[in-house]
Amino acid sequence: MEAYLLNLAILISIYSILAVTLNFIMGYAGIYSLAHAVFFGIGAYASSYTALNFSASIFITLPVAMAIGAALSLVLALPALRVRGEYFVAASLGLQVLAVTIFSEWKGVTGGIGGLIGIPPVNIAGLEIYKPGEFIFLTVVTLIVVLVVINRLVHSSFGRSLQAIRDSESAAAAFGKNVPLIKTISVVISAALTAVAGALYASYLAFINVESFMLDTSVLIMAMVIIGGTGTQAGPIVGAALLLLLPSVISYLDFLPQTEIGSIQQIIYGLGMALLMIYRPGGIIGRKKVTSAGGSK
Amino acid sequence: MTDTHTSSSDVLLEIRGLNKSFGGVKAVDEVSMDLRAGIVTTLVGPNGAGKTTFFNLITGELTKDTGSIRWLGQKIDRIKPYQAARKGILRTFQDLRLFNDMTVEENILTSIEPMSFPTFRTRAQRAEQQERVEYALERTGLADKRHTLANDLAYAERKFLSMARILATDARLWLLDEPASGLDPQSYDRFLDILRVEVKKGVTVCIIEHNLDIVISISDRIAFLDRGRLLADGDPETVLNDPELTAIYFGERA
Ligand SMILES: Nc1ncnc2c1ncn2[C@@H]1O[C@H](COP(=O)(O)OP(=O)(O)O)[C@@H](O)[C@H]1O
Ligand SMILES: [Mg+2]
Repeated sequence: MEAYLLNLAILISIYSILAVTLNFIMGYAGIYSLAHAVFFGIGAYASSYTALNFSASIFITLPVAMAIGAALSLVLALPALRVRGEYFVAASLGLQVLAVTIFSEWKGVTGGIGGLIGIPPVNIAGLEIYKPGEFIFLTVVTLIVVLVVINRLVHSSFGRSLQAIRDSESAAAAFGKNVPLIKTISVVISAALTAVAGALYASYLAFINVESFMLDTSVLIMAMVIIGGTGTQAGPIVGAALLLLLPSVISYLDFLPQTEIGSIQQIIYGLGMALLMIYRPGGIIGRKKVTSAGGSK
Repeated sequence: MTDTHTSSSDVLLEIRGLNKSFGGVKAVDEVSMDLRAGIVTTLVGPNGAGKTTFFNLITGELTKDTGSIRWLGQKIDRIKPYQAARKGILRTFQDLRLFNDMTVEENILTSIEPMSFPTFRTRAQRAEQQERVEYALERTGLADKRHTLANDLAYAERKFLSMARILATDARLWLLDEPASGLDPQSYDRFLDILRVEVKKGVTVCIIEHNLDIVISISDRIAFLDRGRLLADGDPETVLNDPELTAIYFGERA
């Protein structure tokens, strides 16, 4: 039971990083990406490949994961951010589909469908961290660092530029903001921090395959942000915790037919999401009234 | 004011043979015009005359079909809106386009922060920015509303926030798209005072305005647009006393 809860707490903190980094572009820049799991995956594969072939030191695996995540995010950001919002969603969806194919086919790096096994544990200056009781500190500290970084960014001139762009792109540009460049930078920052979550996830499980980085993961992360509260600080974490706890809570309700748990869960998700959007469109933490999300001209 | 051209160094913006069509509609038709430094040029003309389009072409919001635009003698034909802003050409929007989910203060602050990369401000930069924000808040009477979301402001306050964003900058040319429309008399006075003080400090203004009282009290020069064509461009008396223009102006608006 304790191990179970610990495992859940680790997953919640990792998914919180994912939700917080998606919220950074969604809530503050109005960029809706369905490719967030791609950068989660890139971080996981890049750090695992590095750990398996070169060094498992966190001072090498994390920067490598971040750099590759950042660099590959340009593939999405450079062409897609020059067009209108709807096209970005479509482009990100395309990238997500493409990435799944690459993850499952590029055997030399990703291990193909079978994935990578025997990924070494995180190594911090010679200290190997693999026990869940220790790993939880690592993920929570990382989550806090990510929160601090994003919080500082959001309250800097950069964060104000993002919000201005979200509220009115043309007015932001009329006041000197290089809109495509600022959006691109925000996507790069988000992808680099997302890759950190991937690196932690891979070394924690010691095994990864493409199934963790598919469209349903991207949708799940987006649901966490929306349900928790887009553009709020605590919202994405609340959303991540809620959506990860829900399956366990449901499986404890033993009056439910256990064979149907999967579909019951889907029904509860769908219903909950619909009700929430009707009664609290800003999410659980969000303001009741949401204006211009996704933006005017 | 006389109609004769002064030395070209007085011209901030020189526009020659500007054209823009939308489908079959000629929104701006062979317009040539100089915006001279330190004065208020008022654009008048019926709705749909092409006034807003004219602004959009100057700032690069729209690309012209033909014609040339020079800023301080330098061609700025292919400029993007953010580059126009960085050169010192700022505009307001007829439909305001405030940053609705940001506070009044944030709206103003972000308008004086054009940088793209994440930077953190030094104490001195903060103080200097805050001073400009306070000035804009005080001049527009929005100081009490500094923490209010733009979206929650009343109509006149929204108009003034649109002015405050521009007021806090050090732009040389202001393109104001109907900034005074729908204001009450008291707000008119405040608005006129803002304009007078800034023009005295050296700001050049091109303003689109319908209210004749305001047009008369602020204009150093009036340009009259109708169906994309510049029908007159001269000192206020001449333009306003031209019976043909008044007929078009009032005819269209009746
Ligand atoms: N983006 C656009 N697309 C198509 N037609 C436009 C666009 N902007 C303006 N127009 C048309 O150009 C003409 C001039 O419009 P506008 O410049 O807004 O006039 P004004 O500001 O003087 O009222 C109008 O006929 C208008 O319908
Ligand atoms: Mg107009």
